[in-house]
Amino acid sequence: MSDRPRALQGLRVLDQTQVMAGPFCAMLLADMGADVIKIEPPGGEATRGMDLELAPGVSAPFLAVNRNKRGLVLDLKRSEGVAILKRLVATADVLVENYRPGVARRLGVDYDTLAAINPRLIYCSISGFGQTGPYAGRGGYDLIAQGMSGIMSATGSEGGAPVKVGVPITDLGAGLFGVFGILCAVRARHVTGRGQLVDTSLFEAGLALSAWEATEYWYTGQVPRGLGTAHRLNAPYQAFCASDGHFTVGAANDNLFPRFCALLGLDHLVHDPRFDSVAHRLQNRAALEPLIEAVTVRHPRAHWLAKCEEAGVPAGPIYSVPEALDDPHARARGMVQELAHAQVGRVKGLGNPVKMSRTPPVMARTAPAPGEDTEAILRELGLGDDEIAGLRAKRVIA
Amino acid sequence: MKALAGLRVIDLTQAMAAPFCTMNLADMGADVIKVEPPTGEDMRRGSASKNGHSGTFLTINRSKRGITLDLKQPAGVEIMHRLVKTADVFVQNYRPGAATRLGVGYETLAALNPRLIYCSISGFGATGPYAGRGGYDLIAQGMSGIISVTGDEDGPPAKAGVPLSDLAAGLFGAYGILCALEHRERTSEGQLVDTSLLEAAMALTVWEATEYWVTGRAPRPLGSAHRLAAPYQALRASDGWFTVGANNDKLFESFCRVIDRPDLAADPRFAGVRERMRHRDTLIAEIERTTAKETRAHWLARLDGAGVPAGPINTYPEALADPHALARDMIVDLVHPGAGPIKALGVPVKLSGTPGAVDRPAPLLGQDNAAVLTELGYTEAEQRTLKANGVI
Repeated sequence: MSDRPRALQGLRVLDQTQVMAGPFCAMLLADMGADVIKIEPPGGEATRGMDLELAPGVSAPFLAVNRNKRGLVLDLKRSEGVAILKRLVATADVLVENYRPGVARRLGVDYDTLAAINPRLIYCSISGFGQTGPYAGRGGYDLIAQGMSGIMSATGSEGGAPVKVGVPITDLGAGLFGVFGILCAVRARHVTGRGQLVDTSLFEAGLALSAWEATEYWYTGQVPRGLGTAHRLNAPYQAFCASDGHFTVGAANDNLFPRFCALLGLDHLVHDPRFDSVAHRLQNRAALEPLIEAVTVRHPRAHWLAKCEEAGVPAGPIYSVPEALDDPHARARGMVQELAHAQVGRVKGLGNPVKMSRTPPVMARTAPAPGEDTEAILRELGLGDDEIAGLRAKRVIA
Repeated sequence: MKALAGLRVIDLTQAMAAPFCTMNLADMGADVIKVEPPTGEDMRRGSASKNGHSGTFLTINRSKRGITLDLKQPAGVEIMHRLVKTADVFVQNYRPGAATRLGVGYETLAALNPRLIYCSISGFGATGPYAGRGGYDLIAQGMSGIISVTGDEDGPPAKAGVPLSDLAAGLFGAYGILCALEHRERTSEGQLVDTSLLEAAMALTVWEATEYWVTGRAPRPLGSAHRLAAPYQALRASDGWFTVGANNDKLFESFCRVIDRPDLAADPRFAGVRERMRHRDTLIAEIERTTAKETRAHWLARLDGAGVPAGPINTYPEALADPHALARDMIVDLVHPGAGPIKALGVPVKLSGTPGAVDRPAPLLGQDNAAVLTELGYTEAEQRTLKANGVI
């Protein structure tokens, strides 16, 4: 595997990010072969101190979003630290940061300053709300963005306490839109020869992921609400109760609905005027659901899943996370990876979800220990033994 | 200039994941040609329509050109093959196997154009035991574990309200395509990019998988709360709910000052993230004793002043009218020839040098047939014959 070409080989990325959105963005570049240098302050970034420790100072959440990166510890509050960063910037293609807007400028590592050093630099900022607009200066977390983008209002069941999407979808979405923006800018640079500022946020990612919900509101005037597992524009498309728990079925279109009715022994529903089109089924979902569930509760999930598979009706179990990670298909697609870690032995991680025939993503190494690659990186920059020792003694690097 | 100007993408996709993938490429300037059967893709008949034009179709097919092509006729496949020779990227989301049957499988198209980047987005991916199954967002949310971590602690199953496996698969697809373009830049080689709803959803369970691997316990749904930090959840005010993320020690102290509860900041049960997690129920009950006495607006103004991340839980009408959303150009006005004035979501990632934009609404059925076929060298007479034969 290691001698296969990698799609982003030769791309150098400086990763000045913390916690999730920014690290996830840079990790996706690293998986594809970019040389990602994670730059941390002395003491390491905050996520290293998070719960779920594997060994003293080794936090699993940090490892989960920082694999395939090299590690450099640099004190940007010291002028010598900023000077080294600038030397690195001169050799870099991309820089990713997720400070609150304004912090990078105070540290002297903002876009304008660094673009003056390297006009080919692509500088990606991922923040709570973006670099402009009335909320630019506010801190933002996934929870806040899920609430403000409308996503929480459309998740869960009506009338209950607010529910967010269980995974930090605006963090991850912002990381993905960041990667997308960076790679678009890399492509534009082949033509223009120049870098640019890529600016995205958790809030905007949350809105961009609301395509269906915005459409429902704009086209129908109805306010999207939490519907449990149901679809806002299709039916039946939801979880149904079997004798031993729930399973999911998507049998909404006019081709799948009759097949689903047939396997339930409910053929008469197909021509029932309440259920004879998607629009009618959606309108009469409250009537349709109990008719279906009266049948599904009679047998276990496995019975219905086998019947649905036989009939070609999309359906599936509702897995716990352990079950999901243990599923033979997930395993066959390489979604569970293991990497060696010096202190804790082998560490599990999720695989990259994109398979590429010529340049597959590679799991080369686990996340770096603090400053693991400091010396190697500084030597690449041309620093000598004495300089490195001096910086270390002054605690500019570690 | 837009970032992806000059990139031609053939979009043989339906429903959401793959159309969302190509929409993002189109917003950034790629020439995306949506190819539909002569009857149009199913989505055109979706609900939420205006003057007979489906909102869901319009929403995720903007910025694209559109042609119709009957791939069940050899002449239709022939046009597709000529089109592919001019293309950089081909995106499809059939069930694995169907594209090969239609004469547009990877091997066939790569033989015609070795530089082609061929992206396949399916329910489960092109390999593995479930490759042949149909998959929807709901199924992938269930099988990835996302439904198991969403909703009330003891409530019925709830999925993410937005179709996140579809959307993420589209974004991962775009990422794979752009990575493949970098490889092609160096080598002239195209390749197959293969992703799926299930894998995209699993890739979003970073924290949850980690929690399981470390603790051995299955992560549970927590309503609006965070699995590793507190207070970080929706809190009760006198007139509804608002969110607060005061998860580190510094923010927690600021938060306690804002709600005037110095006793909580000094309480050893709440000293440090781990202690706050251990006593989360007690902590939230104590906090809500105070927050429930005043309105959301009261608390949000004070929290903003103190720099503590907090926000309202907006409905979509509120979110889509929010001044910040407007200032960031997240709401775009378009005029569609049939539906009239329509709104669309903007481009969430801002590029300073080559900004993306939503320039045109989704195409009418076969809107660009003549333009595209003329570009391919088909004469007017040939186009008339193709039309008469129902090929276009």
